[in-house]
Amino acid sequence: MPKLNDIIAEIADCDRQERIDLLLDYARNLPSLPERLEAHKDASHRVEECQSPVFLFVELKGDRVELFADAPIEAPTVRGFVSLLLEGLEGATVEDVLSVPNDLVARCGLTETLGMLRVRGLGGVLRRIKSEVTRAAIDRAH
Amino acid sequence: MTETEYAHPEVLVSADWVEAHLNDSKVRIVESDEDILLYDLGHVPGAVRIDWQGDLQDQLRRDYIDAEKFEALCARSGIANDTTVVFYGDKMNWWACYAFWAFKLFGHKDCRILNGSRKLWMDQKRPTSTEIPSYPPTHYKARGGDENQIRIFRDAVEAHAKAGLPLLDVRSPKEFTGETLHMEDYPQEGALRGGHIPGAKNVPWGRAVNEDGTFKSPEELRAIFEQECGLKSSDSIVAYCRIGERSSLTWFVLTYLLGYPNVKNYDGSWTEWGNLVRAPIARGA
Repeated sequence: MPKLNDIIAEIADCDRQERIDLLLDYARNLPSLPERLEAHKDASHRVEECQSPVFLFVELKGDRVELFADAPIEAPTVRGFVSLLLEGLEGATVEDVLSVPNDLVARCGLTETLGMLRVRGLGGVLRRIKSEVTRAAIDRAH
Repeated sequence: MTETEYAHPEVLVSADWVEAHLNDSKVRIVESDEDILLYDLGHVPGAVRIDWQGDLQDQLRRDYIDAEKFEALCARSGIANDTTVVFYGDKMNWWACYAFWAFKLFGHKDCRILNGSRKLWMDQKRPTSTEIPSYPPTHYKARGGDENQIRIFRDAVEAHAKAGLPLLDVRSPKEFTGETLHMEDYPQEGALRGGHIPGAKNVPWGRAVNEDGTFKSPEELRAIFEQECGLKSSDSIVAYCRIGERSSLTWFVLTYLLGYPNVKNYDGSWTEWGNLVRAPIARGA
């Protein structure tokens, strides 16, 4: 996914403070959830691995994946990471999403910046996106 | 101590006090958070960030930094031996208490906690800044601290448990019973067995704080720890949780708010005990 690859390259190239600032920019710019999805912020859309309430919605439109998410600004790290994924995966196909490297967090240099104990929840967001996309694709095939 | 006062009220400062001392060169405000980006999102003006993972922990082995690194950390944070250091942070001051405890390991004299944590400061819409301050470096000399009084290691914990002395497990009830290995909504952080140290009482850390982030009153705290748990100020007490962060808050409450002189934090906590070969474990409530 070229857009995501560009983002990974950019963030990996940053020094520690630039990386934090970039992630904060993403956190500030997470698009708000469409009104029709607000009512569906329930347990089935919550990302369990995250200690903060992070909600994720996956839809298929034609051959493209559409992602929507919500996370509180009081948890800027996960909100920023979610926002980064949404931007990087804009217009992605199912295959694009499934081929995102599982060690994305480390590739961005975030393990180094945030510390080992902080990044587990982030990996959970990516796993969740992949499993939801897989499920949506299977549902459609039926 | 009277019924209505904390044992060491001077270690707890109010948001008003902090706001009045923002430009006091004898005071350094320190933010310590779980979410490291919160500081950059906006912090108490003039506050420095000290991170429990990146700054206070050794990056190779599981331990705290050594005295030399602590001196360098204080020097670059503009903290001198006689500076009043006020800690605050997210999660109702977990990490602030953790940093406070770590500073005591090295013997820093004047440590305080902002009552109400980051939450109260933000909820009351007090001033914030995104500017990262820099202070003239100090010549800090670690005095050598209270490690023997406030920290305990696994063998001593086992002896403590065998002797039937008070042990407080401050994790959530499900972690205590062994139903889960981690806090609700938190990732599993690598313990192979669930349960608690035999003889431990479960007193979740959060019972000591109010919803607005401030600590409960002396009467309320005594009702929990004395009437309910049967603790006395003369007891030798060990507190633990998962990695020692929540139990440093309980350690702070018992030591400074109730004035118990003999409380230790077992920072190895469940991520050590739950992995120790042949360590005794109890399950259930």
